[in-house]
Amino acid sequence: MKLALRVALGFLLGLALWWFLTPAYDRLLAGVAEGAVRLLERPRATRLYADERRLVIDRADFPSTSDRPSLPLDDLTFDVILFLSLAATTKGLFRDRAVRGLAFGMLALFVLHTAAVVVSVEAFYATRLGAWSEAHYGAVSRNVWATAVHFWRFVGCYAAPFLLWWLLIRPPESATGPVPRTPRPGARRRKGA
Amino acid sequence: MQPAQKKFLIRFVLALGAFYLLVSIQPVNDRIVVPFTELLVRASTSILAAIGERTQAVGTLIQAPAFAVDVKNGCNGIEAALLLVAAMLAFPATPAQRVKGIAAGLAAIQVVNLFRIVSLFWLGVHHRNVFELFHAAVWQTALILLAVGIFLAWSRSAGSGGRVEARS
Repeated sequence: MKLALRVALGFLLGLALWWFLTPAYDRLLAGVAEGAVRLLERPRATRLYADERRLVIDRADFPSTSDRPSLPLDDLTFDVILFLSLAATTKGLFRDRAVRGLAFGMLALFVLHTAAVVVSVEAFYATRLGAWSEAHYGAVSRNVWATAVHFWRFVGCYAAPFLLWWLLIRPPESATGPVPRTPRPGARRRKGA
Repeated sequence: MQPAQKKFLIRFVLALGAFYLLVSIQPVNDRIVVPFTELLVRASTSILAAIGERTQAVGTLIQAPAFAVDVKNGCNGIEAALLLVAAMLAFPATPAQRVKGIAAGLAAIQVVNLFRIVSLFWLGVHHRNVFELFHAAVWQTALILLAVGIFLAWSRSAGSGGRVEARS
């Protein structure tokens, strides 16, 4: 019962943080991802910005009169709710190891979100711009980018917070199953034991 | 990182990658994933009809006069199922424990996922303003939390199998 309460509290806290901080977080994510995307392209033409929980993709070579495409960012960032819900299940969350794990996990999620945005933008370029895509991306790279974004959205975005929690926050002895109870010093042994 | 954690991590990532590749193969998608999703859609439509919603199933679509959803991967519970099965295979346990855990876990996930589809459709019809929040954040998180919860409960009971395997 206590565990269910902790999960519910972690979930509600995570949901509230995610909902209210997302606009600011999206702006940060767009800025960092823009720098990363520009590292992969010549000439550096991409400009990314966040608008109403979506990532707007702009390029210097897009016609000025055309609409700017956009991608939903909530789909890429909601996994922080899962991570915080799982973190809330951990006894001693505010002890040193768990706090360090929580901080490192959040940082790792930010890095993964940035990578997910970069991959999503590249997949968009590689597969959604018709003749331009075929002219600038070969068949192999189109498949690689499309598979990467599909993998992230299908299983990666769920597996990452689970693994980060499992490895960084959950007590390490839990990884091999229940820990056998060690007898208290001075405790009597039962006959035959 | 402890050796047991490293072993779990490697097994989990390999299993998840293998399952991902399996369900991404076009014939598997066409012959198993899509028909399964259509089955879910028909079941959801029946439940929605029972609670008074005028809906019809068309392939993977649930349609009402003013609202429709297309149930795709990510909404058919397969992602939670893959995560659960990969974790159960990565965790040290006996084959019998794994079979029981996977069967019970998959059944629980699909029952809850059916409720997820029905409730999301109902929200889409009656409370469209919160549909996206529940679709993108609440239900996705809740289903994965369920999968993780099932795995944790199972891993506690599978502890003896873990010690057997750890010794061998």
